[in-house]
Amino acid sequence: MLRAWLYASTLTALLAVLAVFGFLLHASWPLLAEQGVAFVAEPEWFPYEDLFGLLPVLIGSGWVVLLALLIALPCAVAAAVLNAELLPPRMRAGLRFVMALMASVPSVVYGLIGLWLLLPLLESQFDLLTGRSLLAAGGLLALMILPTLMLLSEEAIAKVSAEQRDAALALGFDWTRMLSRVLLPQAWPGIRLALLLSLGRAMGETVAVMLVVGSLDRLPQPLYNLLQPAQTLTSRIGREMAEASLGTVHWAALMSSGLALALAAVLISLLAQRGRAHEI
Amino acid sequence: MRGVWFLIGLVWASLGGAQASEQIRVSGSTTVLPIVAEAAKQYRIAHPEVRLTVSGGGSGVGASSVAQGMSEIGMLSRDLTEREKQRLHGKAALLPVARDAVAIAVSKAVYEGGVTQLSLAQIAAIYRGEIKNWRELGGPDARILVIDKEASRGTRHVFAKVVLGSEKARAPGASIITGSNNEEQAAIANSDQAIGMLSTGWLNDQVRALAIGEGSAAVLPTAETIASGAYPISRDLNILVPSDGQPHIDAFVEFLQSDAGRQIVTQVGYLPLEAP
Repeated sequence: MLRAWLYASTLTALLAVLAVFGFLLHASWPLLAEQGVAFVAEPEWFPYEDLFGLLPVLIGSGWVVLLALLIALPCAVAAAVLNAELLPPRMRAGLRFVMALMASVPSVVYGLIGLWLLLPLLESQFDLLTGRSLLAAGGLLALMILPTLMLLSEEAIAKVSAEQRDAALALGFDWTRMLSRVLLPQAWPGIRLALLLSLGRAMGETVAVMLVVGSLDRLPQPLYNLLQPAQTLTSRIGREMAEASLGTVHWAALMSSGLALALAAVLISLLAQRGRAHEI
Repeated sequence: MRGVWFLIGLVWASLGGAQASEQIRVSGSTTVLPIVAEAAKQYRIAHPEVRLTVSGGGSGVGASSVAQGMSEIGMLSRDLTEREKQRLHGKAALLPVARDAVAIAVSKAVYEGGVTQLSLAQIAAIYRGEIKNWRELGGPDARILVIDKEASRGTRHVFAKVVLGSEKARAPGASIITGSNNEEQAAIANSDQAIGMLSTGWLNDQVRALAIGEGSAAVLPTAETIASGAYPISRDLNILVPSDGQPHIDAFVEFLQSDAGRQIVTQVGYLPLEAP
């Protein structure tokens, strides 16, 4: 009986995943049938003229996620090392608690923090017309993925076995060298997994990004200008879904944005799986 | 397995419930919504047998959900597009219930810096990206933060039609895009160099309306200028009513057009239409 339940649940989960993809593909079909897949690389999005270029949002999403990881990873690993190796146990528990608390704050709250603190700061620091920019979204996402990244990295570092540490010390390594030659390389598979999980979170985050990214469907000029308003896959879907009417090409285009997002998520999961395979 | 049957039962029951006799579902423009929501609140007291649900979604949603039979009444803060007219031909017709204006709103600092009126051509030049600094318009030396709205919003349709010549015109000068009146109001208030488009109900001390026109002929959006048509960017707020004449729906529509309905329109901050 139990076994039947387990099989049934697993099968249901599997079917749900397939159904999501089937649905997204089916819903995107009007656009795919009309324009092929070329729209993915087109630079212009203007539903009224049947222009559904995904390039600006793909670049926007890419930049935002990359920025978030570049900011969050060093901070998270540093905090993880500090917490796992240097702090006394009581402070360790305190810091873990605070991080867990940070991880449970709803994203709309982060969005509002960004709106009231981050945007004015960026405006005054960089003399910008508006703080709404790729940098703002990336910075905010960094803050949002930091706790998970830190907690998981810390676990990975704490798991490095005592023998390894002893061996390193016996070889005459000082602490810095032990960190760079033993602890971090040994913990790397775990950190990488944390990285991939955070990446998924950062990519799928909608509300907070929507509030601070500016939602302008335009390529940054030049492409590496992070101080300009832009749009991401999720912020576009969040903004336009309610207004697009069912069955139109516009609706299909939004669905294909969702499909692009889902495909990226699958890609990340696959990478995570490979990471795990290496670990074993 | 029992859980699955329970779920199916639940869905079936809720679908069955939704088809109960006297139901009116209203959806669409969030600009029109306050009127219908308040009217529904009052109407329910006198007619408890009618199940009224009111939801937003935007003008496009109002038209499409009536066409698909997901709503009985739609709300639109703009006219029907050609495509919508074809889909709804013979099935439903648009009925104005109130009048509203789209104000050209600027940050307080801009207003106090000397920009209190603009011509339509100047506004168009700002949204096309030809004028980029308030100095060129007699204001403070500050770049212009041009706030555009999501393309399918009724407010933008009306604005774009009057100012840019077509309701689907692009605004290459836009700096950022916002959605609801609420979000746009906050963006203008938080900046000291912004311009945007807002329903008149959303103006306040931080967000000031500009008079529109040349020289002394410029017009502010007030009850009189909107009613007389002197203020150029105004629109009807409409409901989309089915043509098949079901009595419980017609009765609610009549209520919206009655004196009580017109009082509600005034109460939520729009201009009532003349009695038919």
